[in-house]
Amino acid sequence: MSQSEQKPILQVRGLSKAFAGKTVVHNVTFDLHPGEIIALVGENGAGKSTTKNMLCSLLAPSEGEILVDGQKLEPGIGEDLGVSAVHQELSLFQTLTVAENMCISRLPGKAANVDWAEAERIAAEQLDFLGIEIDPHVTVDQLGSGKQQVVEIGKALLHAEKVLILDEPTTSLTAVEREKLFNILDKLKERGLAIIFISHFMEEIYRVCDSYVVLRDGEQVGHGKLADVPQHHLEEMMVGRAIGEARPDLSEPTADEALRVEDFENEDFHQISLSVKKGEILGIAGLMGAGRTELAEAIFGLRPAKGKIWVHGQEVPGHNVTKMKDRNVVYVPEDRRINGLFLNRPVRENLSAASILTFVKRRLRGIGFKGEKRKANELAEEMNIRIPHIENHVSDLSGGNQQKVLIGRWLVTAPEVIILDEPTKGVDIGAKFDIHATIVRLAHEGAGVIIVSSDLPELLNTAHRIVVMRKGRIAGEFTRDQFDPARIISVAASEGGARDDAA
Amino acid sequence: MTQLKTLLSRQKWLAAAIATIVLAALLSVMSPVFLTFSNFQSVLVQASVTAIMAIGMTYIILSGGIDISMGAILFFTSALFAQLMLDTSSYPLAFAAAISCATLLGALNGALVIWFRMSPLITTLATYSIYRGMAIHLTGAQNIPVPREMGFLGNGRILNIPVPIILLLIIFVIGIYLLNKTRFGVFVRALGNSQRSAEETNLPIGKVTITAYAIGGFVTGIAALVLLARVGGLQSGIGIGIEFTVIAAVILGGTKLTGGSGTIVGSVIGAVFLVLIDNGLNLMNASPYIYDIVRGGVLLAAVVVDRLSAYRAEQSLRSQRSARLRETAQA
Repeated sequence: MSQSEQKPILQVRGLSKAFAGKTVVHNVTFDLHPGEIIALVGENGAGKSTTKNMLCSLLAPSEGEILVDGQKLEPGIGEDLGVSAVHQELSLFQTLTVAENMCISRLPGKAANVDWAEAERIAAEQLDFLGIEIDPHVTVDQLGSGKQQVVEIGKALLHAEKVLILDEPTTSLTAVEREKLFNILDKLKERGLAIIFISHFMEEIYRVCDSYVVLRDGEQVGHGKLADVPQHHLEEMMVGRAIGEARPDLSEPTADEALRVEDFENEDFHQISLSVKKGEILGIAGLMGAGRTELAEAIFGLRPAKGKIWVHGQEVPGHNVTKMKDRNVVYVPEDRRINGLFLNRPVRENLSAASILTFVKRRLRGIGFKGEKRKANELAEEMNIRIPHIENHVSDLSGGNQQKVLIGRWLVTAPEVIILDEPTKGVDIGAKFDIHATIVRLAHEGAGVIIVSSDLPELLNTAHRIVVMRKGRIAGEFTRDQFDPARIISVAASEGGARDDAA
Repeated sequence: MTQLKTLLSRQKWLAAAIATIVLAALLSVMSPVFLTFSNFQSVLVQASVTAIMAIGMTYIILSGGIDISMGAILFFTSALFAQLMLDTSSYPLAFAAAISCATLLGALNGALVIWFRMSPLITTLATYSIYRGMAIHLTGAQNIPVPREMGFLGNGRILNIPVPIILLLIIFVIGIYLLNKTRFGVFVRALGNSQRSAEETNLPIGKVTITAYAIGGFVTGIAALVLLARVGGLQSGIGIGIEFTVIAAVILGGTKLTGGSGTIVGSVIGAVFLVLIDNGLNLMNASPYIYDIVRGGVLLAAVVVDRLSAYRAEQSLRSQRSARLRETAQA
């Protein structure tokens, strides 16, 4: 391609950042040409966010420099030089209108006054280019998350004359919306915009990007054309060790039944019957909206449902959360930030939260902090939770490490059944590996495990058996020797299909 | 009906306006004098001090803050004005000092909140005590009368319209303009929406916050002069508890206490509503001790109704979302 002959629009030279003497990004160097999309990849905590914040001029680098079209990027002037970012968590103002949001940092009008007609025209024009119908008058809180994402991109594009930075732009999008976004990126590429694309999803990176920069522990460990590097090699660069082929060793399930449900039914799912043995890992696959999360929540008693349920061979009449908990059934929800973690408490307390009574010393009626500390340290070690100290708050951890804490706390309690909903969503590869190992260990220690996941390779790797749901019904079941990704996907998506032979 | 509901949930001040009209209708049934022009004027005059301050408070609450010290700023400004008039008899000096001090004290609240990243509630709780203490120190805790001609500000008329109403109108119009037509107005609303987004968008957070609190101080200064004129002199009880009435007016007017959404019109309507309630209790010959109970009850009811409607909106949004997911799954 002719890109290499062109003058780079963005030059990053020896970029480094240290906080309080601790280097978090060291010597990042790359060029970006007009019309090029570069993937910035790395595990959580590798320094991507810090690098991103320096690139969009929210942070000043400790060393090195960034040149935009030959001009030096100083803190706060990113948008003036034509560099703009879409952050992972949307930076939209919910009760402001679409037009207000998009134009906010460059409102048209004389002096202090705002020319609203002009602002709305600019917003409408931008949305038109993005090929989406949104009324610039409505407030953002009236839009779905997909449309909000587009508004955010439109907002950034108004200032990104030269470089656009996208941080995990697809996490809140449906498959259709994602494809639309990629088409928009293709258009922007044609326009000659340079794009920095940060994502965890390898398929996306290979779909949209031309080149890559890999960060690990703050160091730039790889940089080049994406066409020259196979996916597993890229992943190995990120993690710093060989992965991919390594499947965790599954141990044989026992003959004891840990959990059984029969004729489970409510508005979201119908005629569900399934069982899990002690030591068995059951995967539940299916498309978004197939009723998987609803089923998992209903089994744990979070949602009402008709039907019968047995735990360890004994029927649970009128089952609800309290009764399930009493029978040592554990549920780990999908959204760890909202459900499950105490973000502003130390890792130690989060790890011991489920087993805190075992540390209580009878006589003192207090908590035996020594025992609690020892156990927390052990767990952090075993699960490879990367923290300077167990007294650090959970909110300081990366997503993957947070998830490890959330799952790790149950290791102490030896649960009868553990139900995990999307246990590795938004988690990087290394943490995923550790979490899978923990799940396998939970099963090995005798728990019946149910994993709800949209990540099929995850289920193929860890499950003994996969049940596929479609539109609220069980559409198929596969044992490990029958695992076949293509068939599982077709059962999850198609009409008719394998439903008959599964029933 | 559903359309009306969405309209009311989006334009919350409309709900306050409807409640005010209903209450006024009730009162006019109870008393024949209520529905006269002169009574209408007197209601507005009674509401003027609260309403003027509520306009300033709206900016502060919209930006995500709150100012508990407004009553203390009111008291300090009154004390400064009365003392200066007593010592120098110079109107220009007293006016200029009072208004600029009020603005500065407001700005100081904002600056403390921004510089030290402190909770506005605690910060202004502290300055509430400081400002009130400063005022008492300044006057030696004495009651000071103000010259009789000051009464013009409180009871005088221009073109047969009471002066407090004129002042309220001017501040009302400027307030609406500032909030809806200027960058500052957008920034105030944006800031109350999300501090993080405001940082990422590189908005001038410090300037906007300090200006919002300064505006609150400025209008409190004007309200102080009107109140002083109506009362006839400085008394030690001036401004005690008025921040409650002001915040109540803003919340009743549909502004979200956590910021980001609300209107100036709503706050003024809220202030009028509170006066009407007092009027109603007065017409019913209610015991003076019951007033606070009713005011508090009304505020509580307004917040409960708002929470319930917000909860219902969340629920319907949730079911919409899962319906949408189901559609995508079937597509």
